[in-house]
Amino acid sequence: MADQKDKPVILAVDDTPENLDVVKGLLVPEYTVKAAPNGKIALKIAEAQAPDLILLDIMMPDMDGYEVCRRLKSNPQTADIPVIFLTAKGETSDEAEGFDLGAADYILKPVNPPILRARVKTHLALKQNMDALQQTTAALARAKERMEKELNVGRRIQLSMLPSSQPDDDAFTVAATMRAARQVGGDLYDYFFINPSKFCICIGDVSDKGVGASLFMAVTKTLLRAHASNDTSTASIVTRINDDLAVDNETCMFVTMFLAICDLHTGNVRYTNAGHNPPFIKRADGEVESITGIHGPVAGAMEGLAYKQSELQLKQGDLLFLYTDGVSEAMNAKDELFKEKQIADKLFKLPGNDPAQSIEMVLGAVDEFAAGCEQSDDITMLGFRFEADTQAAAQHSIELTLINQLSEIDRINDSFNEFAENSAVPLGVSLKINMVFDELLNNIISYAYEDQDAHTILVRIDLISTRLVIIIEDDGVPFNPFMREDPDTEASLEERSIGGLGIHLVKKVMDEVSYKRHFDRNRVTLTKQLDD
Amino acid sequence: MEITTTENNGIQVVAFNGKIDTNTAPEVEQAFVNLLDAGQAHLLANFENLSFISSAGLRVLLATAKKAKLQSGGLKVCCLNETVQEVFDISGFATILQVFATQEEALNA
Repeated sequence: MADQKDKPVILAVDDTPENLDVVKGLLVPEYTVKAAPNGKIALKIAEAQAPDLILLDIMMPDMDGYEVCRRLKSNPQTADIPVIFLTAKGETSDEAEGFDLGAADYILKPVNPPILRARVKTHLALKQNMDALQQTTAALARAKERMEKELNVGRRIQLSMLPSSQPDDDAFTVAATMRAARQVGGDLYDYFFINPSKFCICIGDVSDKGVGASLFMAVTKTLLRAHASNDTSTASIVTRINDDLAVDNETCMFVTMFLAICDLHTGNVRYTNAGHNPPFIKRADGEVESITGIHGPVAGAMEGLAYKQSELQLKQGDLLFLYTDGVSEAMNAKDELFKEKQIADKLFKLPGNDPAQSIEMVLGAVDEFAAGCEQSDDITMLGFRFEADTQAAAQHSIELTLINQLSEIDRINDSFNEFAENSAVPLGVSLKINMVFDELLNNIISYAYEDQDAHTILVRIDLISTRLVIIIEDDGVPFNPFMREDPDTEASLEERSIGGLGIHLVKKVMDEVSYKRHFDRNRVTLTKQLDD
Repeated sequence: MEITTTENNGIQVVAFNGKIDTNTAPEVEQAFVNLLDAGQAHLLANFENLSFISSAGLRVLLATAKKAKLQSGGLKVCCLNETVQEVFDISGFATILQVFATQEEALNA
């Protein structure tokens, strides 16, 4: 039974029973042979259960072999069954017509037994291979579809990792774009505030493209956010990122990075270039400069390297322009590169220094240059224009530290008052700040520490145009003073509920208060507008 | 912190020069306790030369006001600068304590 099932099935169609008997005699028992006396029955049998091959006579009453073949080929169910014409019609034109209709072969009667067997065998083998190929192709198509779906998810995740909103700040404008060569890319960019007066921008390019690179990019970006959250030295941030990436880096991937931190009142920029393309500065007066220094090799390649940093000065209206080599090494049909110089030329011709416009213009130039050539590398650009008037802003910051003793509060208030006087902070505001310091520092000193040791508390005050920004950081137990409910022990809860009045005062006299636990430190940020 | 006490028609006028915060609050509290212990429960805090007050100071005022009331007296305050007035408004102390614009008004009330 199983044997019979495995045998290829051949449908022989002929209006002469003797011919059918001859065919049967030649092909049984190697094959299962079904017989049909006319075209109509043949089509019925073929549609009911497709045979592996059809031997078809041409000259038959009612419906001739050509018509049967035409109908077989026009029905998707039977179209793929190989048809061999078996006929006495020997004209070349007859043969041609048969092949035109999609026949696999054409055998003249009277049949030569070995030739018939050989051709049947060949066409069956061909059909089997075709079927296998179709199955494989279909499986591949399904796999490809699945993979593309996965990649699209990856792409969405990767895009969601990029900053989506433009920070609204008078001191600067920032814009960026990333166009991956494949669904997911190995480029990265990021920008964020480290604190209210320090803004971090970064661009990077992982050594490869595709999925591996995108994962490495995600790790790099996460490390950047972690290390830059409490550090304003680009050298130290890149050094730490490098160490973390290099450990157990079995794939030997690496990333080139340019990291910069801009002081928003002074325009001073600290930067570290880890093997990345030299960015440009387009000055407000139109001059274009290349920032050429390199402060260490690509990140992730080798542990234990100490990266360096440099500083540069931005003035009002200056544009810092970062890019990856997808821009400078974009290729045209002649395999020529776009090159850095063309970026500089474009920037030079840019009328204003608008970051979004500069990106659009360079991207347009790259596309024009490539003229439809497939993009071979991820293209990423970031523009940062410094807007603050450094003359007016001058140096209005102080950083103070105190130890956890109540008597220290006076010293902080004295230092603040001196600063307030020099910076023309109205007396009404500084008295409120004095009270705020008394409330918050008292809270920290009295309740934040579980041991008897000396602890340092950091106070930073920035006057950004007419906005006073105060940051207080301590390494005490995690505690958000602005939460109403305090899940602490009962004794201290009682104390704090009394202290709740002080926090209430702080919230009311300041414009904004916020709390963040930064690793092992409590950070309270307060802002107060001076001109109201 | 400078604390000066003078008597005016049976009312103890306590004038402050400086601020009442975490570090000076104990001193202020002691000054009021001394007066209350001596049977002087009619009190007027003159804040003309007070720069600011924090919640540590408000606690002292509250405790003093309660004790004075128990001794059939009371605590009035006068001459608040803008910052202190704002703190009184925010904290609700402006309604708990009797607040006057001038010492004159406070004494005559």
